[in-house]
Amino acid sequence: MRFEDQLIEILPRLRRFARGLAGSAADADDLCQAAIERALKSQGQWQQGTRLDSWMYRITRNLWIDERRASGRRGVHAPIDDDAVQIAGDTADSVEAGALRGDIDGAMARLPDEQREVVILVLVEGYAYREAAEILDVPIGTITSRLARGRDTLMHMLGEAA
Amino acid sequence: MSFDKATIAAFVDGELDDLTARRIEREAQTDAALAAEIARHRALTDRLHRHYGPVVDETIPDTFLKLLAKTETPAADTSLAARREAKRTRFAPAHWGAIAASLILGLTLGTQPWRAPADVATESGVLVASGALATALDTQLASNQRADAPIRIGLTFRDRTGRACRSFESAALAGIGCRAADEWMLERTMPGSRQGDYRQAGSGELAAAASAMMAGDAFDDVAESKARAAGWR
Repeated sequence: MRFEDQLIEILPRLRRFARGLAGSAADADDLCQAAIERALKSQGQWQQGTRLDSWMYRITRNLWIDERRASGRRGVHAPIDDDAVQIAGDTADSVEAGALRGDIDGAMARLPDEQREVVILVLVEGYAYREAAEILDVPIGTITSRLARGRDTLMHMLGEAA
Repeated sequence: MSFDKATIAAFVDGELDDLTARRIEREAQTDAALAAEIARHRALTDRLHRHYGPVVDETIPDTFLKLLAKTETPAADTSLAARREAKRTRFAPAHWGAIAASLILGLTLGTQPWRAPADVATESGVLVASGALATALDTQLASNQRADAPIRIGLTFRDRTGRACRSFESAALAGIGCRAADEWMLERTMPGSRQGDYRQAGSGELAAAASAMMAGDAFDDVAESKARAAGWR
């Protein structure tokens, strides 16, 4: 199968991953587009027989982190326009328990980047800890501790009722 | 509660060895605090799935598909002469003939409702099984399929998001379909056993792809027919 066709197959899941990272649909699709362009340019670096989805997730995630760092240097902060967050304050810690009940985007946006990406890879995309560790290039222990902190914060902000 | 938080999280994430997982399951039947903690973790995972799950069913933006369709030009194609040559090759009359023929074929097929429907369709930009393939995935059991069945079912299993998935092989196409919203989404596809120029999709390759997706073990005969009875939910 063509490299491009294999990419098309994983696009639906890649868009979900990007949505989780970036929050809004528009930002997520910009991110996806950049990731596809990068992948086409560097497809020679992908090793046949290894998982293309993991490779694409890594590219997407690295582009996202670069973008966050660059906008941080420029002093730009992504606008957060929902009321709950404005009431709740600026950091995840200061959000009252259950204040974001139902607002998963808002709660995810309050997580530090390194916790959010682990939450998405493991809880949404269903990667094993070991696979997530490979994608993010960190030890498994780092995955479990970031996941635990991310989980605690989400449960706190969203309230515990399902 | 004799399990720490990390172990409970690992249990919910399907990361524990079978023995420990079984111990937790058993203990949760009598330990209300443990059961509540498991439920709390599962509830979060479920909420995230409900929130992000639908993104997968959205239509893929055309810009992405265009980006991935036009890359047939070789990277080394830099000189003007090479580009002209490429252009000539790409629009050679033979190609126009082929394009016209496939258009006519497409139109003809489209207007012949008595023809067997194709095995693959797209639903909101996602490849799904249809026709005979969908029927085979729906109804055929690996345990009692005919030796000469045109579509052969391989493994049935659950992936890490809990969907029932089944691998299949036929002359034209092999792959893995996963049940989502009453469709079989084709997660992996490869050329089948009779695809002239292409490398044949070995059963080994398919099994490897399946085992990479699998949470737990592949279904045995009993689990397979139970899952069919439950509509692959």
